[in-house]
Amino acid sequence: MTASPHMRDLARRLLTYEAGAGKTCEPIEFPTLRVYEKLRKGLGEFAGVAGFQSLASRALVLAKTEAPSLSTVRIAADGALQGFEQGVDNSECSIEGDKDKAAEHPVSERGVILISRLFGLLLIFLGEALTLSLLRITWPGAALDDCNSENGRKA
Amino acid sequence: MSTQNKVKINKLPTGVSGLDEIVGGGLPEYSFNIIAGAPGSGKTTLAHQFVFANATSERPALYFTVLGESAIKMLRYQQQYTFFDPAKLPGSIRFINLSQVVLEKDLGAVLEQITREVEKANPAVVVVDSFRTMVRRPESEMDLQSFIQRLALFLASWQATTFLIGEYAEEELRDNPIFTVADGLFWLRQTAERNSIVRKLQIIKLRGQDSVPGLHTFRITDAGVQAFSRTFGLSGHAKNPPSHRRLSFGIAELDNMLGGGVREGDSVLIAGSSGTGKSVLATQFIADGIRQGEPGIVAVFEERPQAYAERAASLGLDLETPQKDGKLEILYLRPLDLSVDETMHSILDAVQKIGAKRLVIDSLAGFEMALSPGFRADFRESLYRMIFALTGIGVTILSTVEVDESFTEFPFSTYSISFLTDDIIRLRYVSIDGQLRKIMVVIKMRGGNHAKDIREYEITSNGVVILGKRLINYQGLISGIPVRLEKHESIGESSPDTGGA
Repeated sequence: MTASPHMRDLARRLLTYEAGAGKTCEPIEFPTLRVYEKLRKGLGEFAGVAGFQSLASRALVLAKTEAPSLSTVRIAADGALQGFEQGVDNSECSIEGDKDKAAEHPVSERGVILISRLFGLLLIFLGEALTLSLLRITWPGAALDDCNSENGRKA
Repeated sequence: MSTQNKVKINKLPTGVSGLDEIVGGGLPEYSFNIIAGAPGSGKTTLAHQFVFANATSERPALYFTVLGESAIKMLRYQQQYTFFDPAKLPGSIRFINLSQVVLEKDLGAVLEQITREVEKANPAVVVVDSFRTMVRRPESEMDLQSFIQRLALFLASWQATTFLIGEYAEEELRDNPIFTVADGLFWLRQTAERNSIVRKLQIIKLRGQDSVPGLHTFRITDAGVQAFSRTFGLSGHAKNPPSHRRLSFGIAELDNMLGGGVREGDSVLIAGSSGTGKSVLATQFIADGIRQGEPGIVAVFEERPQAYAERAASLGLDLETPQKDGKLEILYLRPLDLSVDETMHSILDAVQKIGAKRLVIDSLAGFEMALSPGFRADFRESLYRMIFALTGIGVTILSTVEVDESFTEFPFSTYSISFLTDDIIRLRYVSIDGQLRKIMVVIKMRGGNHAKDIREYEITSNGVVILGKRLINYQGLISGIPVRLEKHESIGESSPDTGGA
């Protein structure tokens, strides 16, 4: 089973948003790492290090079923994402329909998968309203539930 | 020192229905409180209600979670309650997990982190859930009492109202130095009584305020904790002055037997065995009240409101229209672990909603059966509190009670509650001329004269109809097996003024 299109869309918006905030020459994995770190900090505050670590581990296991290149990635005891920037397969970016977006602010497709899996778990446990509330605090400038957005930013 | 110079302690809404009344109007601002109780007793839910009721973006709430329930799971479950507003998170309410600090460091480090977060956020409310889990670490450098004292001092200085949540067993309550630090101590109990769960809340201490003493029942519903004060929320209500008005049953002969009707604000008991027409009389009492412009409430326990209204319709009494017009409420109260306090809460809500002047409780036996077994033991005492509270606000109560028909005794009720009622009307079967007929007698009218006549009556399609004159040709009517007197002579109806036969 793959991550839901809604969660993928949400993850992509945030990664695009973060990609837009970074240097143009940075590797496409960097926005994922920034999004993940912000989530680790934000969610870790209320869920605790162990709480976030277990949630992230579950998300990674689910993501690996969709993106085998994540097999070398692991979640450390403190919840940090390790090994994500290695073993990049750029072909994952070239999914039909995403080419235009990727051309503007290329994002890692496996990053989209991992983050969308994490959001999916939050949605299951906390519900949409609370999940979006928590994300809005971390990304106040991002368009999380607004279709009229540009590169993940509020229109 | 004059009153003007005294410090005024603001009272904060607890966010818990009924609890403001119990704590004396609200929780003292900047107080340091402990919520104690066994797991599952509702401690976290109560704290959440307070947090959601008081947190603002300017003065947020900090909710520190320690070891125990995972914060994600806690939020997952807590958001099922109607008071939970996701929009308040995390702007007005921030959850901060301290598990790592507790596991890796000591209580000093925990205090340090709490201090840091409080100084940063300037919260109005702080909750530590559960502080008890921090104590179980023997290597803690600072003992818990010192930790609590320093925390209390710090949070009071930072103008935060605080709740510490802890799992405590009943026996740990005594001589626990930690509780001496607290301004308020809320004790939640949950006990199983036969097949029912009974939840009770006690304010063991609350500095600076006059809380209602004793054990108050509470229930956890979709709306969270709902508390029911022992004083039924009427402690602040002025008592209505005694009225000299008489209320009619809509049965002229019965009103006459009662010296002109039931005195307003009285508690009336109609006692009789099954089928004697207790409910019919009660329905006629309510229906006549509605005709006179007095809204009424019927609390039924043995049949559903629809069935009750249909039965009334068969007597020519329309209860549907007044229900639609907001003049009548038929309350069906039958969860099997009900407390009298909860019943009262429902009745009082209805009284306030429609401005009810008359209340029928049909029947006391059904009421008792609806109560949790633990509350049945206190039924008499509970009835006393309930009747006193309701008549105190001017509601006239008519209760029905089924009594076992005996041919050697003439009991008024099976609950020894006659002393609680102002007026008693007794219905019973008698065997006369090869027929099982019905008689009625007014046993007692507190503060008023009444007829002493024993009257025969029938239940017709128009309700209770009192027949002819008083029965004078029989001896021993109240035994149920009267003896016909030799001399047949009709004396005529007595009036309350003359006292009758």
